[in-house]
Amino acid sequence: MKKLIRNQYFRIAAIAVMIVGTLSMGFSHNDKSEGSTKAAQASDLALKSDSGNGSVNGDKLTGVKGELPPVPVYGKWRNFTTKDGLPSDKAYCVRIDGDRVFAGTHDGLAVYQNGKWKTYTTKDGLAHNGVVSVDVSELTGDVWIGTLGGLSRWSAGKFETFNQFNSGMPNDLVYMVICVGKDVWCATGGGVGHYDTFTKEWEIFTEKNAPMHEPWTYGVSAGDGKIYIAAWGGGVIEYNTKTKQFRDYTDPDGFMEIDLQPNDGVVHDITTATSWADGILWVSTYFGMSRYDGKYWKGYFDHDSGLASNFINFLRAEGPVVFACSDRGLSSTNGESWVTYKKNDNNENGVAILTNGKEKKEIPLTPSIAHNFIIGVDREDGVLWVATSKGVSRGEIIK
Amino acid sequence: MKKILLVTGIIFALGIIIFIPGKRMAREHVNLKTAVTDHPLLCTNCHLHMHKRSPFARFDQADYLSPLNLAVSNDGKLVYIAAQDGNALLVADVEKGKVIRKIPVGNKPHSVIVDKAGKNAYVSNQWSDNVFVINLDNYQITDTLLTGNGPAGLSLSSDEKSLYVVNSYSSDLTVIDLESGIEIKRLTTGNNPTGATLSPDGSDLYVTSRRADIAQYGEPLVSQLTVVNDKSKRIKTYLGMESAYLMENVAFTPAGDLAVVTLIRPKNMVPSIQVERGFMMTHGIGIIEQKENGRIIQLLTDEPNAYYPDPFDIVISPDGKRAFISNSGVNTITVVDIDSVKALIAESTPEMLKLWPDHLGISSRYVIKRISTGANPKGLALSPDGQTLYVAEHLEDRIAVISADNMETVKTIDLDGPGRITVTRKGRRLLNNAGRTFQTQYSCYTCHPDEHEDGLVYNMASKDMGRNITNTQSLRDISDTPPFKWNGKNQTVFKQDGMRFSTVLTRTEPFPYPDLDAISSYIMTGIKYPPNLGFNPAGKLTEAQRRGKTVFERTKDNLGNVIPENNRCITCHPSPYYTNLKQVDVKTLAASDDSILFDTPHLNNIYASPPYLHDGRASTLEEIWTIYGKEDKHGLVGDMTKNQLNDLIEYLKSLRSPDYDGKSTQIHEAALNH
Repeated sequence: MKKLIRNQYFRIAAIAVMIVGTLSMGFSHNDKSEGSTKAAQASDLALKSDSGNGSVNGDKLTGVKGELPPVPVYGKWRNFTTKDGLPSDKAYCVRIDGDRVFAGTHDGLAVYQNGKWKTYTTKDGLAHNGVVSVDVSELTGDVWIGTLGGLSRWSAGKFETFNQFNSGMPNDLVYMVICVGKDVWCATGGGVGHYDTFTKEWEIFTEKNAPMHEPWTYGVSAGDGKIYIAAWGGGVIEYNTKTKQFRDYTDPDGFMEIDLQPNDGVVHDITTATSWADGILWVSTYFGMSRYDGKYWKGYFDHDSGLASNFINFLRAEGPVVFACSDRGLSSTNGESWVTYKKNDNNENGVAILTNGKEKKEIPLTPSIAHNFIIGVDREDGVLWVATSKGVSRGEIIK
Repeated sequence: MKKILLVTGIIFALGIIIFIPGKRMAREHVNLKTAVTDHPLLCTNCHLHMHKRSPFARFDQADYLSPLNLAVSNDGKLVYIAAQDGNALLVADVEKGKVIRKIPVGNKPHSVIVDKAGKNAYVSNQWSDNVFVINLDNYQITDTLLTGNGPAGLSLSSDEKSLYVVNSYSSDLTVIDLESGIEIKRLTTGNNPTGATLSPDGSDLYVTSRRADIAQYGEPLVSQLTVVNDKSKRIKTYLGMESAYLMENVAFTPAGDLAVVTLIRPKNMVPSIQVERGFMMTHGIGIIEQKENGRIIQLLTDEPNAYYPDPFDIVISPDGKRAFISNSGVNTITVVDIDSVKALIAESTPEMLKLWPDHLGISSRYVIKRISTGANPKGLALSPDGQTLYVAEHLEDRIAVISADNMETVKTIDLDGPGRITVTRKGRRLLNNAGRTFQTQYSCYTCHPDEHEDGLVYNMASKDMGRNITNTQSLRDISDTPPFKWNGKNQTVFKQDGMRFSTVLTRTEPFPYPDLDAISSYIMTGIKYPPNLGFNPAGKLTEAQRRGKTVFERTKDNLGNVIPENNRCITCHPSPYYTNLKQVDVKTLAASDDSILFDTPHLNNIYASPPYLHDGRASTLEEIWTIYGKEDKHGLVGDMTKNQLNDLIEYLKSLRSPDYDGKSTQIHEAALNH
């Protein structure tokens, strides 16, 4: 046997078999993926994934498996600008809270209730007029507002400001704030801050005490007892709130320009947002989007999916569907099927582009979303609100 | 005989020889120790009454009960009394006029309430951070409910499935699910909340706050009344009470058309030396109309040249005709005719309603009686039929029983306290009484509620015409931290509270020495810090606090350079009181201040004393360095990361009295684990 192994021809033959075998596996995978895509049928308005068409290998590689629920299509868009009462057309975020909607704008916080917008600014006690993130505590009803000049707690009409000077806040540039039970988490320009509303104690996570590349963080989300931090240049930092242990997810190939090895991890180390729902972690970057089911990563790009653009400012997952806010429209997906909303350049109309594999279908929208540069999104009870560079849009599920 | 005369003469001569220099020496000794030149030469003043660790101190101590708040049983036969210093719930039989049960509870019980069925009593233990549930059939403690820091006022939700607990130290409201006994949420309230009352229709819970929102000197004073929706258990609104603070308690008219709070209106922006012109502190009620766009109206219960300070509790008779208010500072119950108040409000124009909050004479329209009580009346409770008013005479260890109809005291229930009045107890009564202030405008308690401080900044104009804007300082556990006053000018409490006190603050005759000695004795020995259960419950530092301690004690900066000794935290703030008792310049003197050094403040329980720095310019501990310490003259902080500063702050918040480092810690741990 040893003789056989030492034999030069045998070794060449073995290597050749290995190469051919590996290549064959790749073709086999591609064939099956394509096959499943072809088999997928787009419904009229709501797309349904069709992962049950023998894409076993594909499922394992991508992490997308099982019967996926449909991606709803939103229409009947109504757009709000300064003419309708917004303090600014430049909207940074939206958050729905029952019968009211919060819109963070460049010139203050706008609250939509009973068909009217009301604006709150620094004159009312807001930390800064540039409102980039809003979340509502389910426990207390307090509204937490991330601004470009600190964090505000808005409780029953009373503003209280936390900033880097008067509190343990890491930094005044608050890109994202979320409420998780009694805790408030915020992603800032100086690290992630954690505020315990019971003990009133601040914790800060930066490159000094967490596996971050630098303290700049853009996003934070929560799910399954973990906090997911979108860290600039550091990929995703996962923090287990029970064990207080960190784990980081970075782009394994390390390339800044391209995603060299598909589905090997988060597509890029410069992450802009994370969102966790239904056991899936979604991650946005300026170079594409990633999906992680706890075992497998899958990357999505504008050239191989229905994604509007690789430049994604923000995303929010609601149940099985994630909404990705990009510089060229809003995309929503369940991981396989896509609905992307785009506005026409020359008028207020646009389209909803339904994509499933290579199959595409366009539904005209009159009007469409307010603008294609989108920074914020939220969904509740069949209604979708979108923050754009030219106002706030509200859409309803089309049935 | 000659021998006797000779010996007597020698003794007499020796006596004179010894007496003259001896007296001089004694005089010098007393002058040195009191920092005044005319204190009587009475050894017991200091050696018996002024040293908390003296073996003789026990002779000046007695186990007082100090009833604070109370509740009446549904049949009106029993009164349940939270005995603050007795650490007990007392059950008094009204007919027998005596205490029939003494149930040990946690540390410093604050309030007691009884459920509708009369089955359970709930007692908040302010220094144990819990509430005891007591079965009223067998007087057994059936449950201990954990709360936030400093539980005070209590209320059951309308369906009695939840318990609201006002956390006076952490400034929030705990909501406990009574079925599971677990705190389900904590809502942010106004600053230093105390009282909580549910509206008659059960829709809203009103929570009072004693301290105003922190504001810079010159900014308007606003205290928050927190309104919680009982159904959603969320905050409905905050009602700002302008130019007022120390809102201790709230009551509703039975019809639910008015909510009425007790309050004080301080004039902290005018020089305090103006006391003799009157109007320095005024006291009264805030009325909140319970209707859409309801107004908030303030009325005084004072009179021209006669003030009724420190209103504590308020109850309204079941017929809605009368409100009874305890004025703790003048041992009085003020009776207000509610119909007259309503009539006044109805006939007043908006301009007049703006005038009334500062109108001393208007009280004659609605104050119908002043009822004298024993020392320091606090909690009030009416019998279910509204016929009898019970008053907790806090420093009398007694309950006054007053006929609500006749407005006369019919009898008192002695709670079996020690009976004798020690010098320290006398001092406590004096500190809580306004009798020594011009026109009884205020007591020491007014600016030092619970012997702490009121969070306000006053204009303490001096003879040198400096404005000297200064932040009220706490009186807790100061005996080992002389000198006193923000600039350390007073070496002793005798000096602090002697002649200059009457010149600047009370504007009457100074305390006679027996009174000054008593009040000094109380300040030096009788005022303790609450345990720091919020940040350091058991003397074990958290990770962040341990890191902060390292920063606090560091001798080198982050680059390895040696920090000059006079710029290290630990140099000026060594344990156990975290002061080196010296004066220092940290470069925060205001242009309008007298040119002077600062007394290095002690730091125990510093978390409870915002705002900070001598004039309260720093709203939080962080601001001491992030805004006002940029020159690195108040310790070297310029090299610190934000993480290090946060750790330092966490450590500072953990500092507590050394009294809790030994036996007391075990006691508090036991209370926490009860």
